[in-house]
Amino acid sequence: MAIDSLVLGAGQQVGKSCVVVSMNGKRIMFDCGMDMAYHDHRRYPDFSRISNSGDFDSALTCIVITHFHLDHIGALPYFTEVCGYSGPIYMTYPTKALAPLMLEDYRKVMVERRGEEEQFTSEHIVECMKKVIAVDLKQTVHVDKDLWIRAYYAGHVLGAAMFYAKVGDTAMVYTGDYNMTPDRHLGAAQIDRLQLDLLISESTYATTIRDSKYGREREFLKAVHKCVAGGGKVLIPTFALGRAQELCILLEDYWERMNLKIPIYFSSGLTMQANMYYKMLISWTSQKVKETYSTHNAFDFKHVLNFDRSMIAAPGPCVLFATPGWLSGGFSLEVFKHWAPSEMNLVTLPGYCAAGTIGHKLMSGKPTKIDLDKNTQLDVRCQIHQLSFSPHTDAKGIMDLVKFLSPKHVILVHGEKPKMATLKGRIHSELGIPCDDPANNETVSISSTHYVKARASDTFIHSSLNPNFKFSKSISEDESGSCLKDRRFMPQLQVTDERTAEGILIEEKNKKAKILHQDELLLMLGEKKHEVRFAYCCPINVSNLEETKSTSDNVLCTSDRCSWLQLLNNKLSGEISGGNIQDFGEHLQVESFDISVCLNDKCPYRIIDTQNKSEAVFFCCTWSVADEKLAWKIISIMDNFDCESH
Amino acid sequence: MEELVPSSSEPLSPQTLASFRSFIINPSTPQSKISSIFETLTRSLQLTPDSLVLNLLSELASRHSNLSHLVFDSVRSNALLSSESIRLAAESLDALASISNTDPTLSTAIDELDDRLFVSLCFGPSVSVRSWLLRNAERFRIGPYLLLTLFLGFTKDPYPYVRKIALDGLVGVSKSGIIEDRSMINGCYCRAIELLGDMEDQVRSAAIRTVSAWGLILVASNLETKLYWSDDLFVKEIFTEINRTLTFHRVNGRTSPSCHLLCSMGRDMSMVVRVEAFDALGKINLVSEDILLQTLSKRVLAITKEKRSLGQCPAEQFEILASNVAGVLVHGLEDEFYEVRKSACHSLRTLTIISAEFAGEALNLLMDVLNDDSMFVRLEALETMLHMATCGHLKVQGTHMHMFLGTLLDSNTLIRSATRKILKLVKLPNIELFRLSFDSLIENLEKHPQDEADIFSVLFHTGCNHGKFVVSTINEASEEIDQASEGKLGFDSARVAALLVLAISAPLSHGEHVCSIPPRIFSYAVTLLGRISRALTDIMDQNALLAYLSQCSISTTFSATELNIRRGEPCLPVANIEIPNDTSNEIDGSTRTSSQQEKDGASKLQSWTMREPLELAAPLGEFQVEVRDEVMKPINLILAKVKDIWPSIHSGFTNEVLRTLRNFKEELATFTSDSLGTIGAVAFTLQYLQVIKQLAKVWEHFLPAKKLCSSGLGELDLILGKLDMRLRELRSRFTGLSMEQELQILELVLLTCTLRLCKVEICCHFATLKKLSTTVSRVESILKSANIEPTIFISEVGKLLCLNEMSSSEASCNPFMFKELLKHFSLSQFVLCGRLNQIKAELTIPDNDSENPLPFVSRLPVGIPCDITLHNTSNENKLWLRMSMDDESTQFVFLDLNLFGSSDEVRKFTYVAPFYKTPNAISFTLRVCMGMECLFEDVLSVKKYGGPERSRPALYGIRLGLFLTGDESLIFKHWRTVDFCKKAEDIGASSFMHKPPILFQESLLVTSPLFQVVCLAISLKLDAMEAFIINVGAF
Repeated sequence: MAIDSLVLGAGQQVGKSCVVVSMNGKRIMFDCGMDMAYHDHRRYPDFSRISNSGDFDSALTCIVITHFHLDHIGALPYFTEVCGYSGPIYMTYPTKALAPLMLEDYRKVMVERRGEEEQFTSEHIVECMKKVIAVDLKQTVHVDKDLWIRAYYAGHVLGAAMFYAKVGDTAMVYTGDYNMTPDRHLGAAQIDRLQLDLLISESTYATTIRDSKYGREREFLKAVHKCVAGGGKVLIPTFALGRAQELCILLEDYWERMNLKIPIYFSSGLTMQANMYYKMLISWTSQKVKETYSTHNAFDFKHVLNFDRSMIAAPGPCVLFATPGWLSGGFSLEVFKHWAPSEMNLVTLPGYCAAGTIGHKLMSGKPTKIDLDKNTQLDVRCQIHQLSFSPHTDAKGIMDLVKFLSPKHVILVHGEKPKMATLKGRIHSELGIPCDDPANNETVSISSTHYVKARASDTFIHSSLNPNFKFSKSISEDESGSCLKDRRFMPQLQVTDERTAEGILIEEKNKKAKILHQDELLLMLGEKKHEVRFAYCCPINVSNLEETKSTSDNVLCTSDRCSWLQLLNNKLSGEISGGNIQDFGEHLQVESFDISVCLNDKCPYRIIDTQNKSEAVFFCCTWSVADEKLAWKIISIMDNFDCESH
Repeated sequence: MEELVPSSSEPLSPQTLASFRSFIINPSTPQSKISSIFETLTRSLQLTPDSLVLNLLSELASRHSNLSHLVFDSVRSNALLSSESIRLAAESLDALASISNTDPTLSTAIDELDDRLFVSLCFGPSVSVRSWLLRNAERFRIGPYLLLTLFLGFTKDPYPYVRKIALDGLVGVSKSGIIEDRSMINGCYCRAIELLGDMEDQVRSAAIRTVSAWGLILVASNLETKLYWSDDLFVKEIFTEINRTLTFHRVNGRTSPSCHLLCSMGRDMSMVVRVEAFDALGKINLVSEDILLQTLSKRVLAITKEKRSLGQCPAEQFEILASNVAGVLVHGLEDEFYEVRKSACHSLRTLTIISAEFAGEALNLLMDVLNDDSMFVRLEALETMLHMATCGHLKVQGTHMHMFLGTLLDSNTLIRSATRKILKLVKLPNIELFRLSFDSLIENLEKHPQDEADIFSVLFHTGCNHGKFVVSTINEASEEIDQASEGKLGFDSARVAALLVLAISAPLSHGEHVCSIPPRIFSYAVTLLGRISRALTDIMDQNALLAYLSQCSISTTFSATELNIRRGEPCLPVANIEIPNDTSNEIDGSTRTSSQQEKDGASKLQSWTMREPLELAAPLGEFQVEVRDEVMKPINLILAKVKDIWPSIHSGFTNEVLRTLRNFKEELATFTSDSLGTIGAVAFTLQYLQVIKQLAKVWEHFLPAKKLCSSGLGELDLILGKLDMRLRELRSRFTGLSMEQELQILELVLLTCTLRLCKVEICCHFATLKKLSTTVSRVESILKSANIEPTIFISEVGKLLCLNEMSSSEASCNPFMFKELLKHFSLSQFVLCGRLNQIKAELTIPDNDSENPLPFVSRLPVGIPCDITLHNTSNENKLWLRMSMDDESTQFVFLDLNLFGSSDEVRKFTYVAPFYKTPNAISFTLRVCMGMECLFEDVLSVKKYGGPERSRPALYGIRLGLFLTGDESLIFKHWRTVDFCKKAEDIGASSFMHKPPILFQESLLVTSPLFQVVCLAISLKLDAMEAFIINVGAF
């Protein structure tokens, strides 16, 4: 059986995440995002590839949304309300709560500011949200009889989750965006050790390795503290959800410790409402916030006040959080216009600003004058601090997650092509896991696991109950070139427990598979035990053979045979120390090695073409594989043995 | 009663067994009866082995030691060897082990039990029996090699719980140190490494402990390849090999080369495992530098890339190794859980000793950790820096300063004080940083004036370390100082005061530039003598300081030359724990002229300044060697910090102080290691913290400015009572206190008395005065015999007392005079050095709960079996059992220790205590606790307070606190008087009327403070059928 992953978006690009995975007859769409860079049909995934007929309900089993960012959810109302999908949609509780805010905000910006044609209406959003089934972390949800999904904490933003999906024996994880290092308000991604056929991971920072977050925090706090200590104003343009809360917790904590009394303001609007959600959704935040919220909710910002437009011109130091993040317009730009001309003030910019925004202009070089529009030019004398906080995991985090989960196959999405290629190479070479980075609208097919259920026989179960470990000393050179090689100077003590190794899987036609204990096998098959033995007919030179022969009419009498064996026995017990030689009269036995005098001239095991066979007495030797070394040792002794008869 | 013993071969009914039990536990059951019960039980065991019967037999053996051999044999032959049930066999093993525990003559018998039996039981199919046996393996005295083999084998068990126990067992075996075979050690090590990749968190964390334990043995046993193994261990700690062994647990067994996958432990998904990993990392004290450096960078370092090798690790795996080692510590320090961050900080302590370059890099990170949101982590980071500073690996740079000095403004006292401790030791590279530090200290002083003493002390120390910078700073600021001094010489400004402290430290630095401090500065400093001397108590007392200042104000050249002569004096390898008595002793031992004293003042200073921070590195390194020191040192650090919070108590920051003390307690709670002698020390420190806590609460009432809401008279009285109690425990429950230590405790007792006498409202002056005088006489005798210089407070108290005795008693009770005394008190630092033993008792009533009450017949005495464990008691200690009923009627029983074995450190015995007056009720609850008499003369007075009403135990409280408070002395005293019954009845001890006290030592005084009070509610239930009578005469 195979898993087919159709990448509709975020293939070798960042934006409009959408992957449709088919496994064992079920089809799941992971994320349904939009690309903010386009304003035509390219902003949405090409849904026609799912179903030409447009009957999405029968083509898809369900949709799973990882978090509320628009590049993961933006196309959802369009898909459900305009394209007509009406099947189940799963997302976490916080995502369900916050997604309508994001969508509505986006719709407003599109329609009211840019005057674009509406792709979907407010009613569409409301209707769409009605189809959503909210899930909790680690809650196993049975979508239908065969498919079940489970959400794991992903960090990144409030409510972000990785999703585990399983159909029959086939299992996979879709990570969405995640963060492997905790920040001030969210924890690190957390997942169980699962047996996976496929892992679909984001790879925004496929080659970047980030330094300690402490350094970034220190720089930020130092800049802010220096500015307010000098009486300046700090403008922090952010988007309403996520970064604003993280920075605010950071500042609050610092304010508390340093006993600073300078006011921190939030511009009214979305942010305050978002804070309320954060306060309610405490269980989705970091350990620290969770631990302390009973005494003090970290989102109850003590020092934070509401900002009033009239305060822009008020004197004295302050810190202000204002939307939107890139100074692309709105309130943050308005404040910026007022505060930029003073060198005392500080503006912090996020790590990434979309091209064309004021934020982007400020980041490129250090401009002293900025053209706001055709007619106005602004003097920028304030300091500019660039933040490098990011809620995405870095390359090391991706590697750690892949290592931890060790799936059979990895698909990378949500990244830039050349960087993804590098990471793909690393995953393949360092971890030995096959990896793909498909482009949009490509399909990757991989094979999946199929398990066989088997009954176990009573004997096997019984033998499995009792411990049965053995110790062995092995020289570790043959151990797949591991670092153990270096310990060549000492043999390795190995422990093995053979319990399961003693089982044998039997699959008969038209019958259920069964595991037997190895002792039961012959009984069941009605066969006898076969043993492979080596044989060699070994000549020994006997100098005075003739003499003896003459007396016995060319027929070696039993007593002679015995005497030769006796001789051989003496010789061998002299040479083999500790070997347990047993004399059975007719033949000698050492472990499984058996020697008897061979009287058959046409013995098939005689290799040497003996011209002067009269000179030799032949001994037929047989032994089993286990004693091969011993056998060759004895044979070499016999080869050198010159039988001086009597 | 014979019919209770059935003669048929039927299994014994539960009722029969229950009645047997009653007979067995009743000490007065005739011997013949016991023997017949034994026979019945043995027969029953032969026919139908049963765990209840086993239990009874082992109980029988423990109570009737004459039968223990018989029982042992019977259990062995009837249950252990013949049983078919594995569970029963295991239970009988348990029984045998516990029988041999109670009877030492059987210890050889248990040795003779076949190891094979144990092993074969382990190999049985029952998992619970297997895990039980493995957990209890030590009790059966299995040979270490066999044990090791078993544990090693069971690390392969499919049940994770068994694997975990096996690994823990391996750690246990490693500690015995018996295993010396290299390949064995190696085998254990490698097996544990395999399990680092286990699916279960618990197994992984146990595996880390095992890898660490065996790895360290491996490192120690391979002298020539030490570094190789150390690196191997270090790297292994960080990752684990999921190799083919794991395919056993993973159905998904890939055969690709990546089978052999490495995964970092420090990056494990489970928090427990991560903490364990960093704890283990902190135990390794030898690692290649390049590995260490790599752990601090998430990127693979350029040098490492070039060399293509990492430490002593094999080159072929370089890529994977490097990428795994990379940034592990960084990850640890920015973990989501503060436990992990703290552990990572802690691990840096040992690691930074290894390499200076690493220490530098680590410091960059640590400075950032100072910005952590958890106070514990910030504090841990500072403590780690302190460690680095004492090892001379703390190289501060300009970039660090913002963060580091920022902590001086932290709102948490502990953080500020930790930072200042580091500042004392740190060597600043240039004057800019020096100025920066100075300014921050001033800012600290302005924001938190209660830190003044400590800040001055830091200024003085830094001044000594940076003489040149001081001189140039002072020269620039001298004008400012002069201005401030104009007119009335009022150095109110904190800055000016700080500058003065800085200035006067200069002559003690090593440079030649000392003379350039204008002498007038020193005379200015004299005006601040009180404030400065309070800060410098650890270096010199007020007189010495005055002498030093006046000398310097005449001429600074003097000290410079004098000092050079004194350079050769030996220095003490103590970081910042000062023992002022050492030096002051010699001075006061003989009479000297004033100029000589001045020189001595200087010499005292000098002997201190010689203790340069950097010279401390070597002796400190040895701290790791001794486990004992590892605990004692932090304890002493805590005690040092306790001393530091005295100013806060003094200035009334009570809440803050209490919070701090709570933190100390939490910190103390982490020292659970039961290595020699440290338990006593930890318990002592806890008790000491209690005392300080009460003291802080009391002090609040003596603050002039504070307005205490609703602080009635009673409250202060109550706290003072508590304080008394704690102090008494401190004195009576620990043995091994040195003279000095006792003196320090007595000083606190004196302080308590003084506090009482200060308050007019408290009307017990006579008793308190008496206590004060007895204490003073005790103090004086100690001072005389140990030849110790008394503190100012002690000598002032003595003086006042003399005065009182001479004058009439009317005048003596002048609270004002006592209030004056308080000014002289300052808390001196307690240093624990020798071994302290805590007198402790544990009391349990076995097999008793509300479901399972003891039977009794109402109005007849009942025997209560008490399992008593005594720690560190001698036969001189007089112990009492106190039994009280719901209705407050109480009865005391004396425990004659001579009857209970020799006076070992720990003695364990079972004692059947008679309780005489059982009520006429179906059931009742009895509380039993245990107390020790203490024989201080001063205790008598206590009885006047409180009285019986207050100290009555709460009826249903879980922890009933101290039962035998002062009022018990009252009871006891009355006993000896003619009409004791009547008076005893008055205070609710009516039960005594029915039975006079049985044994009574004619000691002069009997009173209270106890041991650890163990209170138990014993439920007794009336059951006529099962009732029996206790033979009272037995006692």
